[in-house]
Amino acid sequence: MGTVEGEGAKRAEDACPEERLIRKMFSSYYRSAHFEAPQIEKREFGFGGWEKKIEFRHIKAKSEAELRGRLVSEAPLYVSYSVAYYEFPDARPMVRKNWLSADLVFDLDAPQHTCGKFTCAECFEKVRQEAIRLIEDFLVPDFGFSRGEISVNFSGSRGYHLHIRSQSIQRLDREARREIADYICGVGVSFERFFWTEGKKLFGPTPSDGGYGGKFARAFMERLGDDEFCLSISRRLKSREEKDRLASSIMQGNWDSIGIAARERKLREKFEQMRLGMAGKIDANVTADISKLIRMPGSLHGGSGFAAVPVRSLEGFEPMRHAAVFLDGELRVKVAERVPALEVAGVRFGPLEQGECATLPMACAMYLLCKKAAVVA
Amino acid sequence: MPFDLAFCSRYPFSPQARQYVEQAGLSLTASVVEKAEARLRLALESGRIKKVADLPDAWQEELAVYACARMIASAANNRYLIGRYAVAEAKRAGEYLAIDDSVRQDYVEAVAEGFGIAFQKEGRQYSIPFWQYLAFTPRSYDYKLSNRQLKGGLVKVSRHERLRILEEAVRKRMEATLPIKAEFPAEVKEAAGRLLALLPRLEPISSNVGQENYPPCIRKMIEDLSLSLNLPHTGRVALAIYLVNAGLPQERIVEYFRHAPDFSEKTTTYQIEYIRRRKYSMPSCQTMDSYGLCVADCRCGNPLRFRDRIHGAILRRLEAERKGKE
Repeated sequence: MGTVEGEGAKRAEDACPEERLIRKMFSSYYRSAHFEAPQIEKREFGFGGWEKKIEFRHIKAKSEAELRGRLVSEAPLYVSYSVAYYEFPDARPMVRKNWLSADLVFDLDAPQHTCGKFTCAECFEKVRQEAIRLIEDFLVPDFGFSRGEISVNFSGSRGYHLHIRSQSIQRLDREARREIADYICGVGVSFERFFWTEGKKLFGPTPSDGGYGGKFARAFMERLGDDEFCLSISRRLKSREEKDRLASSIMQGNWDSIGIAARERKLREKFEQMRLGMAGKIDANVTADISKLIRMPGSLHGGSGFAAVPVRSLEGFEPMRHAAVFLDGELRVKVAERVPALEVAGVRFGPLEQGECATLPMACAMYLLCKKAAVVA
Repeated sequence: MPFDLAFCSRYPFSPQARQYVEQAGLSLTASVVEKAEARLRLALESGRIKKVADLPDAWQEELAVYACARMIASAANNRYLIGRYAVAEAKRAGEYLAIDDSVRQDYVEAVAEGFGIAFQKEGRQYSIPFWQYLAFTPRSYDYKLSNRQLKGGLVKVSRHERLRILEEAVRKRMEATLPIKAEFPAEVKEAAGRLLALLPRLEPISSNVGQENYPPCIRKMIEDLSLSLNLPHTGRVALAIYLVNAGLPQERIVEYFRHAPDFSEKTTTYQIEYIRRRKYSMPSCQTMDSYGLCVADCRCGNPLRFRDRIHGAILRRLEAERKGKE
């Protein structure tokens, strides 16, 4: 066990009123919460507190009941589990754990934006779209995963975690996982690999090809409907017939049916401009880390008070609405910094100025307390 | 495939060969032990293993020699020897696969099946599930997944690449299954002792070219090589470029690679010369990271710019902060 007996109790005395309240609420949540931790006995757990997201790690839980017991009694503010399965999850140093296998995970976060710590609806929408793109443009068509194999989870804060637990990927090492992340981000993609000349003719990918060649061919064909795009390639593409001729020859992999001046330079430019990969959208280090501790699905996030809920469908998912859990009661809080107008669990409130007091529905109050933007009044 | 002794002698690591040896039993005659020792010595010295004569008697013996060579390698229990032997067995298998690819497709298919690799023929090419592709291809520019046709979970590979993948599967299988933990007969232990005496001595390489200024990634690669751990191709190239740029003379750079399991003086010398001549530029930290070679957060941008005084200090500070956080 990773914690020292009695330490929890001592810490509770030192805790500020906000932390005590949050822990009390979290404890009651964990009494009946549904959380998802397949093969629980082989995972390492990490608990976090008011100051650190992982305060104690190398924790082992033999069963769901044992874990629940600890969550109720200790009420950690963050609960993470290892993507890895170990023979001895609580052994240390790491090599003694004896790594057996690991889930494949992807971490998507909302972009940095002026909304700062109060993530706005627009940012949530952007990251939701990226998650859909990751699934629909990469994981399903390229990697061949079925939608049922991909478990989507709200991270509890600003983004999503995707967990794939299929047998096929369990034993992949760090380098192999890095290759998967690189593929998705488009790292190392080179134009030369997809285009070649035979005689003077330029050949390239067809829209039905797999990989970045096919992605480019499909995107290119789609953009042929855009006049500005066509003009930047060749004046000849003004004519409908020439356009059709180029399109039908690309279907055969021939990119040379109409004379394009400086064709390779232009195509290369387009190839690079199109940003077919998801660079900067997923955190490649998380995917490559075969011992990563990641938010446990169904656990609470101490920085927002939201639950890291499993997302059955990304369609229409709104974290501020669907991940809020403390729906009963209200609480009077004093705001410690300016809070913009927000909507939590369907309740609109704010803006609130620093020093202002307000009685808010519990979910809204918990959100502000967890963000350390308010104190109990 | 029905039982086939010729197949087993060519591919003695296959499940079929293993099953045969288990049933038929092994007799460790003096001749078998001698040949097994010779097999390992040749692997150590030249990185290769001779092919077997095309005779049923020789086939039978080949299986015993192979099993005995594994016993000797296990008794020696030396990482360098096992690594080098695994490479040689893989090359030997590769030579047979290249022949059988044009005349005995069923042999090639049986080898793939033995590793559980599911190739599918697609015209003149093959496809392979991406997780198997990643498990059995070197991390190099040529095999980078980003530049591959990946569709429905399948990666397209050429006929030649298919054989390379099988060769790598042989090497990995050898490395994963050696050493065997058992008590071996005296003659096996003696042969192991003689082979151990042949190994190059591990001498620390002294350098006056500011080793303290080697970044963590470079130091890690040097350390791995000195432990005879296999360094991916991208890592070797990066290390060579770094050392060339650090101004090390040719022989000194070759020394660093001497303990690589598949070391060949000629090839290494040629490749370093090539890098020097073509003035290869050092991969950036970002590229190093994408190859899985970056091991620290020193924020120097490019390994060549690393200075311990500056980036080492940053690194130590970040380490301390991280420890504090956990």
